[in-house]
Order: sequence, then C-alpha cells, then structure tokens
Amino acid sequence: MGTYITRRLLQAIPLLLGISVASFAILKAVPGGPLAAYESNPNITDEDLRRLEHTFGLDQPLPVQYLNWLGKFLVGDWGYSFVSHQPVLGLIGERLPNTVYLMGTVFLTVLVLAIPIGVLTAVKQYSWFDHLVTGATFAFLSTPTFWLGLLLIIAFGLVLKLFPLGGMATLGMPFDPIDRLRHLVLPVATIALVQLGSHVRYLRASMLETITQDYMRTARAKGLSEGALVVRHALKNAAIPLVTVVALDLPELFVGALVTEQIFGWPGMGRLFWDSATRSDYPVLMGILAVSSALIVLANLLADVVYGYLDPRIRFS
Amino acid sequence: MRALSIVLAAIGLVAAACGPTTGGPTTTGQATASAGPVRGGTFILALWQEPVTLAPHYRNQTAANVAARVVTEGLSRTDTDGNYLPVLAKQIPTTTNGGVKLTSDGKMDVNWELLPGLKWSDGDPVTSADIKFTWQVWMKDPNTISRTGFDQIDSIDTPSDTTAVVHYKTVYGPYQNNFVDGLLPKHLLETVPDISKHDYNRKPIGTGPFKITEFVAGDHITGERNPNYRVAGKPYLDKIIFKSVPSREVAVAQLKAGEINGMWNLLEAQTPDLEKLADIKMVITPSPSVERIEMNTAKNQDMTDPSSTHPVLSDINVRRALIYATPKQSIIDKLLFGKAKPGTSPVSQGWASPKSLTQESYDPAKAKQLLDQAGWVPGSDGIRSKAGVRASLTITTTTGDQTRERVEQILIEEFKSIGVELKIQNQPSSVLLSGSWSGGDPRKRGSFDLVMYASSPGIDPHSIVFQRYYSKNIPSSANGGNGQDYTRFKNPDADKAIEEAGSTLDLEKRKTAYATALKLVNDAAVIIWMYERAGIDAHRANVVGWQGNVWDNITWNTEDWYLKPS
Repeated sequence: MGTYITRRLLQAIPLLLGISVASFAILKAVPGGPLAAYESNPNITDEDLRRLEHTFGLDQPLPVQYLNWLGKFLVGDWGYSFVSHQPVLGLIGERLPNTVYLMGTVFLTVLVLAIPIGVLTAVKQYSWFDHLVTGATFAFLSTPTFWLGLLLIIAFGLVLKLFPLGGMATLGMPFDPIDRLRHLVLPVATIALVQLGSHVRYLRASMLETITQDYMRTARAKGLSEGALVVRHALKNAAIPLVTVVALDLPELFVGALVTEQIFGWPGMGRLFWDSATRSDYPVLMGILAVSSALIVLANLLADVVYGYLDPRIRFS
Repeated sequence: MRALSIVLAAIGLVAAACGPTTGGPTTTGQATASAGPVRGGTFILALWQEPVTLAPHYRNQTAANVAARVVTEGLSRTDTDGNYLPVLAKQIPTTTNGGVKLTSDGKMDVNWELLPGLKWSDGDPVTSADIKFTWQVWMKDPNTISRTGFDQIDSIDTPSDTTAVVHYKTVYGPYQNNFVDGLLPKHLLETVPDISKHDYNRKPIGTGPFKITEFVAGDHITGERNPNYRVAGKPYLDKIIFKSVPSREVAVAQLKAGEINGMWNLLEAQTPDLEKLADIKMVITPSPSVERIEMNTAKNQDMTDPSSTHPVLSDINVRRALIYATPKQSIIDKLLFGKAKPGTSPVSQGWASPKSLTQESYDPAKAKQLLDQAGWVPGSDGIRSKAGVRASLTITTTTGDQTRERVEQILIEEFKSIGVELKIQNQPSSVLLSGSWSGGDPRKRGSFDLVMYASSPGIDPHSIVFQRYYSKNIPSSANGGNGQDYTRFKNPDADKAIEEAGSTLDLEKRKTAYATALKLVNDAAVIIWMYERAGIDAHRANVVGWQGNVWDNITWNTEDWYLKPS
C-alpha cells in the first residue's frame, strides 16, 4: 500500500510538469495578452507599452518565461499579478475561504440529500417518488448552471424577494450569521441541484444492481428487516462507486464554481480565475492551474486508495 | 441518524434565512423637514468591473478611477465644459497670471502653488515635496502605466513648502493636466522600495473626502469620511461603499430592488426599462468616446507597406460613397435608443472640439452616383467592379458586442444596395484592440479593410491627434509598429498643423490647428464617424448631488452627495 502510494506520487511529478507546460503554452497561444487592456487608454504610448512588456518579462522567449516561472514557483515565489500587483498567493489566500465556504456547503448538502434520495428511488423503483426524482434529476442535469442561477435569482430574488440577488453579505452591516446564510442559499441551490442529479443517478443505478444480488435475497430470507437490509447490506456496497465520484468532487473546493460565482458576484476562486483569464493575468492563472491540477491528481489517487480500502476485491500491485 | 439531524439543521437554517430583508442601503441621518443636505448615511455604488488597484500611477480601469476618485486628488481637474479648475492648487498657472514662464532657450517653467494647510487623510501635511515625489515615482517605477507628460519634465524645485516649480524640457501644452491623477504621499512611500507591493495599492492615502478603510477583493471597497478633509462640514455621507457586481444586469436588478443607491455605466439598451421607473433617475452625460469605422487605404495584408494602395479603398470616391451609405441617425435611433449623437470628429467634447466640422450625411443616391462616376460598374449580382476588381470588403469589430454586430448587419444591407459587398470578419477585443504590433493587432499590421471600434481622447487631444493623424505615426515594420494612424492617412498640411498645435501654449491657436488637421482627415474621407456615445449612470431618486462630468468620473463630487430620507 505504502509503496503503491509512493509510486503514484512519483508518477504525478512528470504529469504535473507536463500539465504546467501545456497550461502555459495554451495561455500564451490565446490571442491578445496582458497589454491589451492598456490600448483604450489615450495616454499610453508605445514606449509605455514596451516598458511594461519588459517589466512583466514578456519580451523574453517563451521557454525562458516558462522556466522563470517554474523556478520561482518551486521555491514558493508564485509571482505577482500583472494588473493588481498583488502576490498570487495572497490573491488565492483571500478568495479561497469564500470558495471553501460555498463549495463546502454544496458538498455537504449534496451528500446529505443524495444518499437518502438515491436509496429511496432505488428501493421504490417505478413508484411516483422514483418517477418524480428521475424526472427532476434529468431536468436539472440538463439545465445549464448560468440559466438555472438566473432563473433562481429572478424567482426568489426579484419576484418573491426571499433572498438577496448576490454577494456574500449585506454591505454596511455588522456581521450577521442569518444574513450570511440568506446570501448562501441561491448559489448553493444552483450548484447543488445540478450535482445532486448526477449523484442520485449514480447511487440509484448501483443500488438497483446491488439489491437484485443473490446475497440480498439470502439476507432477506434470513428474516432481516427491510431497513437493516438496505442500510447495512445494500447501501454499504452500493456506495462504493459514489465514493469515487465524491472524491473527484474534492478539487472543486479549491477551484470553485466559475459560472455560479460569476452570476452571484461571489468573491471566490472561480471569479478570480475568470477575471484573471479575461485580463490574461498569467501569474495568477498559472498559480491557480498548478494547484488545481495537483489537487485533481491527488483526488484521483485518493479515490483509488479509498476504493481499494472499501472493496477488498481490489488489490494494489 | 446523524445524517437526518444534519438535514433537519440545514432545513432550519434555510427557513431562518428566509426571514425578512434587513440592512441594505440606509438613509439614517437626521430627517429634517426643511430642504438642505442630510448628514450621515452609507451610499452603495455598484461597479460591474472590479477595481484591482487604486494607486494613481497604476490605475488603468475606469472602475478603479471611479473608486479612487473619492480618495486621491491631483493639483487640477476638468469641469464638464473642459475648463481646468484647481483642486489642491490655489489656481491654474497660466502665462497671464505669471504661473507659466517661457524661458529664452525654448523651455518653460510652471509654478504650482498649493492651498495652505492641506493634510493627508492620516494628518500629515501635504507639501510641495509631495509634488516632486509624485513625478519621481512616476518616472522611476517600472510598473507605472503611462508617463505621458511626466516625461517632459526636466526637474522640479521646491523653494517653499507650498511652492513647486516644474521645469519642462520643452514648451508642453497640456501641462495643466499633468498632476491630475493624484499626488503620492512622500512621507508614507519614500522608504518603500517597491510601491506595487505595498498596501498603498488598496488603501491609498489621499486628500479626498473619504479614506479607504476596507478593501475586500471581489466584493467591496469601503470609504469612510476623511476627518482631515479640507472643506469643513463635508462630506455629508458617513460612508461610501463600492460594491462589485458581476454584470450591469445584476446592478440594474439591485438598483431596482433598492439594495444599492447607484450604479456606474449602463448600456443604451437598458435605458427604456429604467426610464419608466419613478424611483430611479438616470444621469446621461456626453462622453469623449467616439465610435468610428476606419478605412484602410493601404493594401490589406499583414505588415502592410504604408505606401501600397488598397485595390478598392484607395479610391476616395468609394470611401466617400460608403460614408454616404451609412445611416448614422437611424442606427442611433434603433440600436442606441436615441442616446447618442452622429459623430463628426474624434474630438467631440472639450475646448479643442471642432464644432463646425461636418461629415457627409446619409444619401445612398449620392453614393451610387459617385460610384457610377468613378467607373465602378454593377455586375450581374449587383456588386460593382472596376478593371476586374470587385467592390468586396471585410468589416472587423470586436466579437460578442451585440450593438456592433447589429450595426454590421445594417451596413451589409446598406452597402449592398449601393453595390458594395461587405463581409464580417470579427475578432476578439483582446486581439483587435491589443494595440500591439507583436500581438498582431490587425489595425497596427494593416490587415483589415474596415475596422469599427471606439476611442476617447483625453481633455487635451494632442496625443491622440498626433498618434493617429500624423504621417510619421503610420505603424509599419520600418518604425517597429509605432503609432496609431491606422488608415495610413498622410497629408503634409495636416502634419504641419499638428506640429504647430504641439509647439504653442496659445489655446486658440492650438484649437484652430487641430480643426485644420481634422478637417483634412474628413476631406480625405478615411473614417466614418459613427456616433458620439454618452455615459449613462443611474441612481435611486432620493440621491442628491450626483452630477455627471464629461471629463471626470461620476464620483468627482461625492463630498456633495447626500441621501434624502425616503
């Protein structure tokens, strides 16, 4: 087990390096660049532009630019934003708690709701509840987040006036937990409804497979109560595929929700990435991409390890 | 069981969260029956662009200027009519009041006198040393956005605490505008090795009515009353909060809902909806931004040779016909809801604006006549050609801009009716407007037929007139892509007029010289001046004191703003 994890971690190093090269190349291949924002400023001369280009190191050959970034990144110097001049680590640091707060709530909400709903739809297959949930999950799964978010804003914010239209808290007010929660409801609902759909589908499918197994029939024949049967024998086995799905969701705690954060004006990682992308703010983008790719690699490893732990049929070699 | 209790707890929280709305913009302050300013209260202003730095020499976003305007102040400012007014200075130095002296060797000295008793918001005195320091930082800091103007200064003397004598290298016309973005506090920043990494970026120390007390990236920026503000009893507001919102649409929704008191920058298309509401007022201010279509007179190819000629557009009759075929007024009425004016020049506002300048108005019959006379003969598909050259052109603008894309559709139809084929070849703004030779800006490289975009001059139009219509500023591989004369317009008389304008302090002479140069540009029919855009902002009806200003940010007079109890 230990050697397996070590080997996987060692394999991750060239993989991550490759990802960073690819990210850098793709960012650079995007037409335009960080200097585009200065063009509309009538006071900026070509001389100013060339000076800024030099200040940002953009006048160097691409491989040199990449190696400069990598060399500093590895020793913990993530560089400074081209536009705000803030340290990249600082920018991530001030956005990350907001994203963890949002995505963590989504994560828990989805988990807590998906398990009972998924189990019930499988156990009561073809009941009205199953049909309702199946219909709803497909509807939400196929709804684009941006549209769902706007719909929720219009319905619950503008028309019913139940929730605020965006932001994390009402401005100009001292900290108020209820106010914070009110701001959390719509963005969480937007992401959770979509995610819930996929998780419920996963669990339903694997539950259905499990409850028709021979050992379930045996257990039932031995007189186990239906509740104990479902929870102790079916769910335990059926939940294994869900573990993988959930583990792969973990990087989202860092990455955030690009679209939802944008719609609700949530000051999280997704918006930082979006804003930085529109400004070609390479240092910030590279920092976020490096961390998120590392997290995705780690989450995959975690999923594999946990899977093996839960399912004795899988052996690491 | 644990899962169930979590669910229950979550439901409880959601239910609690559904409670009635609290907070939001408040209009506390003592409600007095009589008219007159109301003191106190918090003003929330929505910005759909997130300010990233407030430091005067790093700012390059309008939203950042809007926010920083309540803090950082310069020596002068510009009123709506384009006149220079003193802010921290006693008066605007001129040759008549003795503040500006021309030296015998063709240079000039400008004498700035500070108001007495000025203080930074932290209580330290503002002195002439800050003026000198501001110039030094501007020139020394590699991250400075633009050194225009400051690079014309040779040295600065500070004979007294309130007097700074600025020695210019040449006679520099726009000197009044040099220290407009904000003075930098020497006492705070003198020992800072790299200001770009200092807290000053987010919480600048200034002299304005407010001081920044909170900067929450991506969320809001709070300004609180500056106790050391030079005008006693002002500002009226206790706080001004700049709220980051993701889009104009969200800002409008929040304005309607009363979550915010005002918002910056609406689109024309949003005005009909708001005009109907009694509790919202819109402020429509003319802006220097002029939308135009520039026509390439050189060959449409990458790194074009400026002396080459365009197969179609080198014919002035074709260019003039295209101007005649452009229905500016109906575009304005239909697409901009009447909130713009047909353009005639790049300098639409201010003292230098050549108000008498005109451009051919919509007359498709005349367009056809011109093309007929010039020998462009319609073919079987109605598109004209001459000597085997088909009158087929491309138009390029920024992708994703709905208004511009609809303008293109209209032009395709209009041009087709006079026998000119137009094809759309849009590019993302990050490419089209990159302004960078190496970044492949097609305007710089000359790889376009028609290009549609907007540009705004500063209050002193010299840099744009010089950059855009002076023949040495045609970008080419020979000059390293310098300049913005994208149509490849060249005219020795225009060059002479622009040189004249740049070498005198006499505003009347300069104005005449610019008018001469811009008339020559219009005579050459190289640019269709589409429309002059207005700045549109909106606020709740109980806001008093908000006033548009062509040359300044909407926050230029926040010290006068207050909220009437509603």
